[in-house]
Amino acid sequence: MKISREWLQTYFEQPLPDAHSLGEVLTFHAFEIEGIENGILDVKVTPNRGHDCLCHRGIAKELSAILTVPMKFDPLRDPVSLETTDTVSIQIQEPALCSRYIAGHIRGVKVGPSPEWLKDFLESIGQRSINNVVDATNYVMFNLGQPLHAFDAGELSERDGKYAIAVRKAKAGERMVALDGKEYTLSDSMLLIVDGHTDMSIGIAGVKGGAPAAINEETENIVIESANFDGVSVRRTAQALKLRTDASSRFEQVLSPELAAYGMKMVTDMIVQLAGGEIVGFADDYEQIQQKQNVAVSLAKINRVLGTKLHESDVEDAFARLQFAYAKEGDVFNVFVPFERLDLAASEDLVEEVARIIGYDKVPSIEMSAFPKKPEVNANFYSAEVAREELLSKDYSEVFTSVFAEKGDRIVANKIDGMAPYLRSTLLDGLKSAYDRNVRTKELLGLKYVRIFEIGAVWQKGNETMMLGIADETGIREEPLKISYGSSEYQELPTSSATRYQPFSRYPFIVRDIAMWVPKNTESFTEVVRIFGDHSQGLLRHVDLFDQFQKDERVSYAFHLVFQSFDRTLTDIEVNAIMKNITDAVAAKGFEVR
Amino acid sequence: MPRGHLHPISSLIREANQIFSRMGFTFAEGPLVETEWYNFDALNVPKDHPARDMQDTFFIKDEPNMVLRTHTSPVQLRYMEAQKKMGVEPPYRVIVPGKVFRNEATDMTHEAEFFQIEGLAVGEDVTLANLKGTLDRFFRELFKGANVETRFRPSYFPFVEPGVEVDMRLVGPNAPEKLRDRWIEMMGAGMVHPSVLKNAGVDPEKYQGFAFGMGLDRLALLRWGIDDVRLMHSADLRFVNQF
Repeated sequence: MKISREWLQTYFEQPLPDAHSLGEVLTFHAFEIEGIENGILDVKVTPNRGHDCLCHRGIAKELSAILTVPMKFDPLRDPVSLETTDTVSIQIQEPALCSRYIAGHIRGVKVGPSPEWLKDFLESIGQRSINNVVDATNYVMFNLGQPLHAFDAGELSERDGKYAIAVRKAKAGERMVALDGKEYTLSDSMLLIVDGHTDMSIGIAGVKGGAPAAINEETENIVIESANFDGVSVRRTAQALKLRTDASSRFEQVLSPELAAYGMKMVTDMIVQLAGGEIVGFADDYEQIQQKQNVAVSLAKINRVLGTKLHESDVEDAFARLQFAYAKEGDVFNVFVPFERLDLAASEDLVEEVARIIGYDKVPSIEMSAFPKKPEVNANFYSAEVAREELLSKDYSEVFTSVFAEKGDRIVANKIDGMAPYLRSTLLDGLKSAYDRNVRTKELLGLKYVRIFEIGAVWQKGNETMMLGIADETGIREEPLKISYGSSEYQELPTSSATRYQPFSRYPFIVRDIAMWVPKNTESFTEVVRIFGDHSQGLLRHVDLFDQFQKDERVSYAFHLVFQSFDRTLTDIEVNAIMKNITDAVAAKGFEVR
Repeated sequence: MPRGHLHPISSLIREANQIFSRMGFTFAEGPLVETEWYNFDALNVPKDHPARDMQDTFFIKDEPNMVLRTHTSPVQLRYMEAQKKMGVEPPYRVIVPGKVFRNEATDMTHEAEFFQIEGLAVGEDVTLANLKGTLDRFFRELFKGANVETRFRPSYFPFVEPGVEVDMRLVGPNAPEKLRDRWIEMMGAGMVHPSVLKNAGVDPEKYQGFAFGMGLDRLALLRWGIDDVRLMHSADLRFVNQF
């Protein structure tokens, strides 16, 4: 998520370090940073912290703990009170999917452009400014993590001076035009927000508001929604509608229903400040109140898991910096978990909090003591290694081909590229194609023949079998890998001694032959090969001496010369010119070209 | 007769097995077509949880709950369960090199099928410090002669707690020049989540342990300067014969 350094600064009296320094400390104590640009950090909030850290307040809280810098204020710590009104009623038909719904009623707002500071904040994190009311809801979402929505109350029906909001499941096939102007067809598993009097749908719960009650320039009365929707339900709805929004991506992480009140308080205060009007009051339907959570961890446990020798004071320091309240009994810390930290449920979670706040560099490197037993020998791996070794010794090289095939007994349902969706039932097809391709390039490597093998899984009917496939000049064959049991030790086998891989050219190559008579001495052979190199403009990839015989005091050599460029397809004309230069140079040495 | 060439991944697996075997780790394996239970649920990744988005999964058609395994971690459970069934209590130490799958578009750095090596050590007193000690020794022996440093960064994988990302750096004159002094992200790791132990039938009150999962293709790319991960499955001798 995009986090603005300037926005974070609103939480602190003292100036924060620059964005790169913030990125550095977040990387080693909280989250990976995917990029930093113009004071905006792209923070990769992990799925366990989506409850509290998909917002500036969450990141500010982290920084406060990591840097040991107090926050000016923490908007989630003091209880909020919302004055009740009876001008809006709420009816939650699906309490399992909506644990809380707060409606806030504001009368007499003046919708208009947002002040510059607000536009700037929103635009700096990639959001578009719409108007002061909508911007306020977005600002509070990116500030506290609570998604919010504003309805134009003028579009809602009023009976006896009361608006009614209902939360119900959609009917199969029910349609709704959302704020993006698109019409969505809903299914009966999706949750809707509707006008309780007329049953008109005004929003897809937790995903997107509806067009019918959208805020516009004429809007005077508004109803704000700050609610808590079930994560799984929102996630499924957003996936099914292909409509992943900033709201849905927060709800799907599961939010605390307590947060809804803080979001409501902040947004209504802000709207009155920016757009005027007066808060009429709030209706809050919140039956299943979130239970307070305590999690205990002992100093001994922390040290036992981390392998550290931390003192009580280290743990106290970490908890103080995180502003965790706790009761201490012996060496046990009983932590009162802040409501938004839904990730803290077991003692291991607290071990992690301590470790990351003090820093993982404090964890020493300690080898384990010797294992009391001898490692077992895995029969399949042992047998594969035996087969490899036998084939390598006969000049076969090992290849891997893809398990994905054009035919087979089992098929992948959702292959992203749609190509070769089957799981192979044989190694033969892959090996055949690999064999043919390697035959075409074997001259480049100076190979007289291609010999390859693969040890890999195939799927026949319901079974996954390890198969050994071999391709060589005599044909292609496969058989299940023979498994030998009962070995007590692996053979100590050689590993690759290669140091550096050299990329090869993907362009076609051209082979030319040249034969000549040279005097019988070792220098003349070296001389000839040097001439090839000197006159090839760096395009000679391989020299293969394929024939040689002696007559009297002379030797006849016959070579394949393989030419290839790294950046283009060579033409016959180019290679002919090179061959002419080579031939001339060989002749100039007094050797007879045959 | 000349000797043929071993695939670089097989060479790495062979070498890793030699190094880890000296540290008491047993080679273990499991099926590539795996149940959602072993691949996700038992590893503390519930259905419809955003954590499942972390890995793009291939599902098998008309076989509900079957997937191409997205990591080697299911074998953690399979191994521990099998040991328990034979009446063997921890300590356990296993490595699991093997093929894994991600439903991604492929390019020079991404492949839909690639190799991982999983490590698992469970005992009464196996610590996060032991994870660091074990990995330090592995890298030291793998990059013979070079001085190797590792560091942890906080991260999240549902099957470990605490969870870390492990970076490695080669320093000193014996380090390959292209890798010298550069921190490189190597793997995800952490302390095995108690619910994973519980799901395998191991008492989390009595035992704890570490686990890690490292990409072998990536390790091969780094070690030999290979420029395209797709070469691993190219079956091209212009590639394989360099090893």
